[in-house]
Amino acid sequence: MSRSRRGLSAAKLLLRSLTFNRGRTAAELAALLVSAAAATALLTLYLSIDAKLHREFRAFGANIIVTAKSAAQPLPADALTRVRHTLPNGALAVPYAYAVAQTSNGASIVVVGTELPMARRINSWWQIAGNLPPGTQPAAALVGVRAQRALGADRFALTYNGEVLDLQTAATLTTGDAEDSRVYLPLAAMEAWTGVGPSTIEVDGSGDAASIQALIKRLQVALPDARIHPVHQLVEAEAGVVTRTRSLIFSSLLLISLTVAICVLATLTAAVLERRRDFAIMKALGASGARVGAIFFLETLTLAGLGAVGGYGIGSGIASLIGRYNFHTSIAPIASVALQVLVLNLTVALLAAAFPLETLRRMEPASLLRGE
Amino acid sequence: MFLRLLIESFRRQRRRKLLAALAILLGTTAVTAMLAIGTSVGDRINQQLSAYGANIVVYPSADTLEVRVGGIDIRPAAAGAYLQESDLTRIKTIFWANSVEDISPELPVTVTAQAGESAKSLPAVGYWFHHTMKVGTESYTMGAPQIHPWWRLRGQWPQDGALDQVAVGSALASELHLQPGSTVMLNGQAARVTGIVSAGDATDRTLLAPLALAQHWTGHPGAVRRVLVSALTKPEDALARKNPATLSPRMRDRWYCSPYANSIAYQIREAIPHSRAEQIRRIAQGEGTILSRISGLMWLIAAASLVAAGLAVSASMMTSVVERRQEIGLMRALGATGATIASLFFSEAAVLAIGGGLLGFACGSLLARHIGMQVFGSAIPIEPVILPLTLLLATAVAAGGTAPSLWRAVRVEPATVLREEA
Repeated sequence: MSRSRRGLSAAKLLLRSLTFNRGRTAAELAALLVSAAAATALLTLYLSIDAKLHREFRAFGANIIVTAKSAAQPLPADALTRVRHTLPNGALAVPYAYAVAQTSNGASIVVVGTELPMARRINSWWQIAGNLPPGTQPAAALVGVRAQRALGADRFALTYNGEVLDLQTAATLTTGDAEDSRVYLPLAAMEAWTGVGPSTIEVDGSGDAASIQALIKRLQVALPDARIHPVHQLVEAEAGVVTRTRSLIFSSLLLISLTVAICVLATLTAAVLERRRDFAIMKALGASGARVGAIFFLETLTLAGLGAVGGYGIGSGIASLIGRYNFHTSIAPIASVALQVLVLNLTVALLAAAFPLETLRRMEPASLLRGE
Repeated sequence: MFLRLLIESFRRQRRRKLLAALAILLGTTAVTAMLAIGTSVGDRINQQLSAYGANIVVYPSADTLEVRVGGIDIRPAAAGAYLQESDLTRIKTIFWANSVEDISPELPVTVTAQAGESAKSLPAVGYWFHHTMKVGTESYTMGAPQIHPWWRLRGQWPQDGALDQVAVGSALASELHLQPGSTVMLNGQAARVTGIVSAGDATDRTLLAPLALAQHWTGHPGAVRRVLVSALTKPEDALARKNPATLSPRMRDRWYCSPYANSIAYQIREAIPHSRAEQIRRIAQGEGTILSRISGLMWLIAAASLVAAGLAVSASMMTSVVERRQEIGLMRALGATGATIASLFFSEAAVLAIGGGLLGFACGSLLARHIGMQVFGSAIPIEPVILPLTLLLATAVAAGGTAPSLWRAVRVEPATVLREEA
């Protein structure tokens, strides 16, 4: 018998044996599919959760603050440009210029010049009623709700160093914090009126504590004269929550993979044991134990491979759905997960085939056939 | 007879039954643990999120505007209205009092520090430091260190209520060359520096005084400028954003009785005369986002695990029926009806499901406890409702796995099956 003919007959044998009892094959394949899909989905989630969560934490706004070394001096004029050049894509930097002005009845009020559309993006919790004043209209302002109550009217005048500026409320701002007592102007209008330039730049860098530290180092190189520090309140709490969520997912990953793997083991073991008569007949017809064992292994491994391929697809799909549903962005399949899942499935299948085969090998075909 | 068949089936096929029971046991263990994590993760993460500090601020309704730049209130001490310190215990009597974790009053004041010949004006803030608040029979320890968990202290906090102790922000301390144990002259009186605080914000450039000392400096006993409150809240939904005045009485009750940041602030406003209370949107909204994302995620993972465990368990049930085709054929040949065989197999599945399920529930509860201790440092409580739920699921999955193969096995001619084996 030539090698090619033997190969062909082995393939045929495999195909026959897989299609002969379709119910059993389907149950085995289904179990292997489920194990691969569950492992893929959880592994993919586990590996991409850090980035997803750190992005969500930007709901708390800027986590890096750039200020002048001493409160008296402003930041250099090109500070904002330098900061923005240093930042990775997608990270925001917003400048703020502060001045204390007087209202018409002599009360002090904080006026802030900033890039309003950017400030709104970085401060996602800002509740704004009305339309943001366009940068081109110098007389329109975003007024905090407490400031609005204190000013009493939509048209008001503020004085800074003897310079009077007539303003109109374009929108009101609610935050529940210091911003409520302030008046926000477009940066250009603020500079034209008071001559005060930005003294603070808020940056939202997304990532874990180490990458925030690295970003701070890079910013320090770009702006040696500035004080650059993380917002401890945000960075520490964020690290705590992300770490805990990750370990929770890891526990789930272990728990589910183990459960499903053992169920698969039980299913496959039962399926192999059930075929002890096939085994006995083959042996009685003169096949060596090794040969018969190889056929059984090949069969189980084929199913495991098919299960891994299908399960990887299904699991990646589930991870992506969870991402889209929960985080509103899809979670991309991770190629390295495919290999891990394949190894997992093959290991489970090998174990499942090895146990009963070892038992069967030691038995005489005759006693097996008699049903002992 | 039926019972005997059932018992015999368990007695004779101990290994197979054990395998099936093991599958169910593991499945229910996983499902119990995942459901326990899914139901409690919200509370746990909420507690973690209190590391962000206050999410509600209370200030006097007649107050002038805050003049706060870079985190320091530079408004003259005489300007503005005050809240009464004695009213603060009322925050712990509102409907959602149990959700209120920390209360921290603040009183900003400017003091004159004598350093050698020159006098220097310094911003100072009066705080509670580990202040004991008694409400009824309960007593709580609250104050600035609790509500700002990111503050780092070198030395000790001042005694709450002491008039001769202060803590100093790190930037100010290095400017004035102060160490824990140094003495500083403030408004003509000597005060001992008990500790150096680094907060990473404007607090680093201020003096931190006991509230009583700050009140002494302003000459307003019992005065408080604003109060920070940290409360465990529920993420905002459509109802939370409604104005309670515009709601129908029933909806208003629902709004009032939900722990939204807005409704807790509303209750604080009711409890403290002449006050306004508002959610600090940066913290409250951010916490809401994170909380709903993480609990959503864990729920989805729990659901996916449930499906995976269910499928895996029913696959092993399916094979356990497939391998008993001859037994079924024999019963049919001996005259058993399909219904009798089905009821025997389903009873077996139910016994396995309930036995494995009970044991699995116990294992799952232990596992959830363990995971809770590992991840959050506190055990995850098991909702009693999870027990009937897991048992029901286990029974459904076991029966669901049995049904299709049984259906096919019963329909095959007994002779065919039996001959297959002959």
